[in-house]
Amino acid sequence: MRPFGIRLGMFWALFVASVLMFVRNRAAVFFSLFLPLIIMLIFGVLNFEGTTTIQLGLVDEAHNQASAKLIDGLAAFEYIEPTTGSRGDQLAELADGNRDFVLVIPTGFDPQPGQVTGLVAYASTADPAQAQVGQGLLQQAVGTALFAPAGTPPGGSFGTPPVSFESVQSRDLGYIDFLVPGIVGMTVMQLGLFGVAFGFVHLKRTGALRRLFATPTSPAYFLGAQVASRLIICVAQVAILFGIGIWFGLQMFGDYLTLAAIVLLAAIIFLAVGFAIAGWAKNEDQAAPVANLISLPMMFLSGVFFPRDAMPDFLANITQFMPLTYVNQALRAVVNEGAGLASLGPELLGMGVWAVITFVLAVRMFRWE
Amino acid sequence: MTTPIVAARDLRKRYGALQAVDGVSFEIAEGEVFGILGPNGAGKTTTLEMIEGMRPIDSGSAVVDGIDVTVDPRGVKARIGIQLQASSFFDELNLVELLELFGHLYDRQVDAAALLADVELTEKARTQVRTLSGGQKQRFSIASALVNEPRVLFLDEPTTGLDPQARHHLWGLVRQIRDRGHTVVLTTHYMEEAEELCDRVAIMDRGVIVALDTPQRLVDALLGRGFTKERVERLANLEDVFLDLTGHGLREEG
Repeated sequence: MRPFGIRLGMFWALFVASVLMFVRNRAAVFFSLFLPLIIMLIFGVLNFEGTTTIQLGLVDEAHNQASAKLIDGLAAFEYIEPTTGSRGDQLAELADGNRDFVLVIPTGFDPQPGQVTGLVAYASTADPAQAQVGQGLLQQAVGTALFAPAGTPPGGSFGTPPVSFESVQSRDLGYIDFLVPGIVGMTVMQLGLFGVAFGFVHLKRTGALRRLFATPTSPAYFLGAQVASRLIICVAQVAILFGIGIWFGLQMFGDYLTLAAIVLLAAIIFLAVGFAIAGWAKNEDQAAPVANLISLPMMFLSGVFFPRDAMPDFLANITQFMPLTYVNQALRAVVNEGAGLASLGPELLGMGVWAVITFVLAVRMFRWE
Repeated sequence: MTTPIVAARDLRKRYGALQAVDGVSFEIAEGEVFGILGPNGAGKTTTLEMIEGMRPIDSGSAVVDGIDVTVDPRGVKARIGIQLQASSFFDELNLVELLELFGHLYDRQVDAAALLADVELTEKARTQVRTLSGGQKQRFSIASALVNEPRVLFLDEPTTGLDPQARHHLWGLVRQIRDRGHTVVLTTHYMEEAEELCDRVAIMDRGVIVALDTPQRLVDALLGRGFTKERVERLANLEDVFLDLTGHGLREEG
């Protein structure tokens, strides 16, 4: 730094050059903007919502033989995906759009055919048409589980419907709501890893960087301009992805400042990784395998495209510590649930630890030549 | 000699087992075109880069325009222009944008059009460096080294890889730059280039200067030692034939 302070003209010129170099580089724009968009379109068209599985929350307040029999009976249905828990938890899940129904088994539950059972099911208002179908299926499943002998195929009438329904205001989360935060996380990762690593290694290999330092400029200006330009580009990218996501029906429950904070912290982590690779690698051939080795596992194991619940436990346990997993979790909490920074403690801690690790790595591995 | 604009004293640089530069001293007067000659690996580029502040000096000193490069390398860089041996620029920017960027790195506004006119690249103003021919690239590289109106211009093998037409054209450009009062320091391994351009030359081999004088006096000294060529010097050589047949006009694709 100069004793008389920062030379803004010098910084600005390097910043503008850095942005121009990015937006004019077709490969960089393709990989960091069009590829995520194409992936979003493909997965959007594929539509993974057409399943008829009912996500059923079960609240057992009876804890007797009858309630146990009902719970076991419902679990036998292929189209029911039961989860047991407390009333408060399950209703919260319903409100967040993670359950289709929450069935409460009341204290002193003792069902008799043809009589009121006292079972109440809270139904999501998110998708009325689907709820209608779901209600029928649930009535039948409960009736069968309670009164039909084992092995009898479901069907027939039970006279008085065993379950009464109540509507609960809840969010209708579609696949697009799951996908967009994941794509945003992936894009930030790609920008840091590929946008920085490759551009920088190229400048280093061709000698353009050496030419730059034949002038009296300081490396701090160049690095500062690079980082600033990438952060701005990153915010622009996320804005574009979000705009298109909203056009496709994405719902934003959180606030955009919180989202921006998460995106910037994520960008810092992956920019640092990018600079560590760029500093270490002598040419693009060295940088490519390392960048791919880091990005590919995260792309598929950090819950970008599919929920991580589908993973075997051992894999889920390992991959929950990957930086992109924390980023995706935080982004989804903000976008899908409207979480604020205060309720994102574990994710922010995970991202913070990774930011420190990657920053130290970048500083230690960075070489100009 | 009045106060020299460049003074190198006992410069040394070692790379592992190789003593690349082994005690090089010389002084350059303002307005001079000074050549450093030598075969590949003689230490020319390393010497130049130590004086420019581009490479740390093991021992010895280099003072440019009154500034010690080990004390204030950026101060030296602010006063000189550097053309590196392998010049490369940012691919995505055009010539005008690059010159303006370089201007900002010296904290000054530049007249990019005038600089490009000086090196006859006006028509290429809005193109990128990678579309230029070898000679055009070298001329652009020189323009980029002139954005700060340097006191000393360093050219590292400016004509290597150029065809004879482009080389002769570049010599004309170097003379123009000298005529405008810039001091020029260049390295080359073309003897003809040194004779054409340089007021004085230092001949380097294996990291040391083996001779330093005007080209004419170096030749006279050799003759004085009783040297005779096996063949009588002809009044023209093959390059003259080549240029006579193909003309002096620049051949530039693109």
